[in-house]
Amino acid sequence: MPTIIAAAAVLVIALLPVAAPWLQFVLTLAIAKGFAALGVAVLLRAGLISIGHAMFFAASAYAVAFLARAGVNDLGLLLILSVLGGALVGAVAGSFLVRYRAIFFAMLNLAVSMVFYALCAKLYGVTGGTDGKPVPVPAVFGVVLGEPAFKSVLFYLSLGLMVLVGLAVQRYLNSPLGHALSAVHTNEIRLEYLGIPVWAVLLIAYVVSAALAGLGGAIAGFAIGRVVPDFAFWTASGHLVLIAVLGGIGGVPGAFIGALFLELLHSAAVTVTDSWNLIVGMALIIVIMFMPKGIYGLFARKEATGL
Amino acid sequence: MTSRGISIGVSRYLSSLERLFRLDRGVPQGKVRWAVDGLAGALALGVVAATPAAAQDKPSALGLGIFTFTSGPAAAYGMPGKNAADLMIDEINAKGGIGGVPVSATYVDEAQGAQGVIAEYRRLAGDAKNQVMVAALSSANCLALAPLADQLEVPTVGWNCDTHQLLMDGKSKYVFRPNGNTVPEFIAYAIYLLDRKPDLKTVAIINPDYAFGHDAAKIFTAALKALKPDVEIVAELYPKLGSPNYQTEISRLTTTRPDVVFSNLWGADLENFVRQAAPRGIFTSSQVILALGETVLQRVPLPDGVIVGVLGDGWWMSPDAKNKPETVKFAEAYKARFGEYPVFPSIKMANALIYVKAAYDAAMQKNGGKWPTRGELAAAMKGSKVETLTGTAQTRADNDGLVDQIVGVTVKTPAQQSPVIGDMVRYKGDSLMPQAGQDPLAWIATLKPEFAKSLPKPGSYK
Repeated sequence: MPTIIAAAAVLVIALLPVAAPWLQFVLTLAIAKGFAALGVAVLLRAGLISIGHAMFFAASAYAVAFLARAGVNDLGLLLILSVLGGALVGAVAGSFLVRYRAIFFAMLNLAVSMVFYALCAKLYGVTGGTDGKPVPVPAVFGVVLGEPAFKSVLFYLSLGLMVLVGLAVQRYLNSPLGHALSAVHTNEIRLEYLGIPVWAVLLIAYVVSAALAGLGGAIAGFAIGRVVPDFAFWTASGHLVLIAVLGGIGGVPGAFIGALFLELLHSAAVTVTDSWNLIVGMALIIVIMFMPKGIYGLFARKEATGL
Repeated sequence: MTSRGISIGVSRYLSSLERLFRLDRGVPQGKVRWAVDGLAGALALGVVAATPAAAQDKPSALGLGIFTFTSGPAAAYGMPGKNAADLMIDEINAKGGIGGVPVSATYVDEAQGAQGVIAEYRRLAGDAKNQVMVAALSSANCLALAPLADQLEVPTVGWNCDTHQLLMDGKSKYVFRPNGNTVPEFIAYAIYLLDRKPDLKTVAIINPDYAFGHDAAKIFTAALKALKPDVEIVAELYPKLGSPNYQTEISRLTTTRPDVVFSNLWGADLENFVRQAAPRGIFTSSQVILALGETVLQRVPLPDGVIVGVLGDGWWMSPDAKNKPETVKFAEAYKARFGEYPVFPSIKMANALIYVKAAYDAAMQKNGGKWPTRGELAAAMKGSKVETLTGTAQTRADNDGLVDQIVGVTVKTPAQQSPVIGDMVRYKGDSLMPQAGQDPLAWIATLKPEFAKSLPKPGSYK
């Protein structure tokens, strides 16, 4: 039953742009943010809130822009390299950040990401300052596509990746390494006594989450066609945490549900009124007050009672 | 008729999927049917909506997508633009619309950031009713939308964004800017300053910390260095955009005591800076240039002798504007409706709408009165010369605009409550622009002091 619902949901998402072509961009962006929010959700399992994940999102988008300028012009290669770039930045930052817990972890992530933001905005000659850098349309496995065709390829590729990467992350979270994350949250000392290196568990989780954010950033960079420092601003990081919490951290689909919900809500609100901030804010308050386990929690609970 | 056929076909095809994939495993049949039918219905609706109306019939309404800041700090600059658009569209509709078709605008808030702006642009462009986009205020948003405009083939008029990078490659077919760019805008200040204060030695710059501030500083400095090589830049300060407090920067300015303080702060930032700098004597110890000073003339008491301008010719009280009855009428109607006289962002928006209307008139004249397609509209904008509220906007071969630059100093007048611009000069638009395709900074470096001598002098525009 849940598999059928999930498959139907993916099918609906796949067909929506046929009905309303402009939705393709919104959905691509939502999936991209879903990847990054999934990264945040992985760390949330260990009780660690990162208010700095937009840094990896932006780092990988900038990586795409720089690699494209350097002559790398293939979608697959660019995606892989930029995700590796995100993971590399994650490994460097994670190596010292995972020593901290609670508010210190959150604040240090924020601090590091804001340093990155300031560099992107200030290194005018390198990053183009606040005007950012263009991301050109790459070839897809050697086939040079026009922009509209590329955007469709990107959308369906993201959708496919959403399913594949989602399944892979599900496997990771269900593995001993994944369960160790919840154990860090409940009793870290016991974990050390059991002989499991907490530092390594968290570093792996951190690199995985940075890579996920990187994948999202690369997709967003291609979809938008331009990278600006605002990608790394702390409000963008907060946005990712919000998506993760909104969707629910109970399972992998939560992050994507949250992202789709927020992006579609935002799109609907701006078409109605100038005070779109008000509508989005009210909807968030309602979700957070009445759905403590996020939107995904609704489905998960129903499933439990069904059994 | 074909669109209906297509939608029926799509619905039937989708219904056949039901049998094909045997979706009925364990799920009540009714639910699946309901879901599939709903999906088919939605698709059919979408297909009908997405089929463009025949381009040559006159539509019942002409939609414009207008992009500006309506929330956040930048709304201080964006709302005058929106107000002017409201007023101008009412005026156009009162005269029977464009070619008999009433105009209606959809406003998009740029405060959403590039992602939201792109999503909205795509949504509006998907509706054939919206033939033209007036976008955008922010340079970053213009740069992000430009590739999209060419891809979706929607004529897009940059009403305010002025980065010189926008049309630099000269390849754009659908992006137009009936305005000057940062290059003529800030060279004008350098030339005016050297005419007014030929013996200056030291200059300090205080600009907002983003591309617009850095670009302006680079261009202004390059022009000064080319025209008077011994000028020294003693301080370059870049306070954060939206900063409420400028005391640190002002302290730095008072200790370096430069002959000239140049700033292109704007909106609430500029108001804050002026309020904090005036009591500390910056305006008496240095010659201050406020590049966007005209926008705050009616809001903060600027002392006499501050060099201000309008980044173009959009000064509603300029001699040319005063001679046009429609401009005077527009300004008075604006004052009556919004309680303030228009500032130059308002005039830029109004001029952009006049530019769009002129393109429609030209395109319809060319194709014999039929309603133009988006492509015909873009062709009509190319190379056009349009009479605006305050002058002319000429579109070059690279789609960039040539607009005169007005610079002057603040003076008090008994006729007006707030200070006005006096001792004005009006530089011809083409005299301050590099040739199409030329690197602007390299061009500025080639300028000679003789070049400045050949231009009109302060006070010559009366």
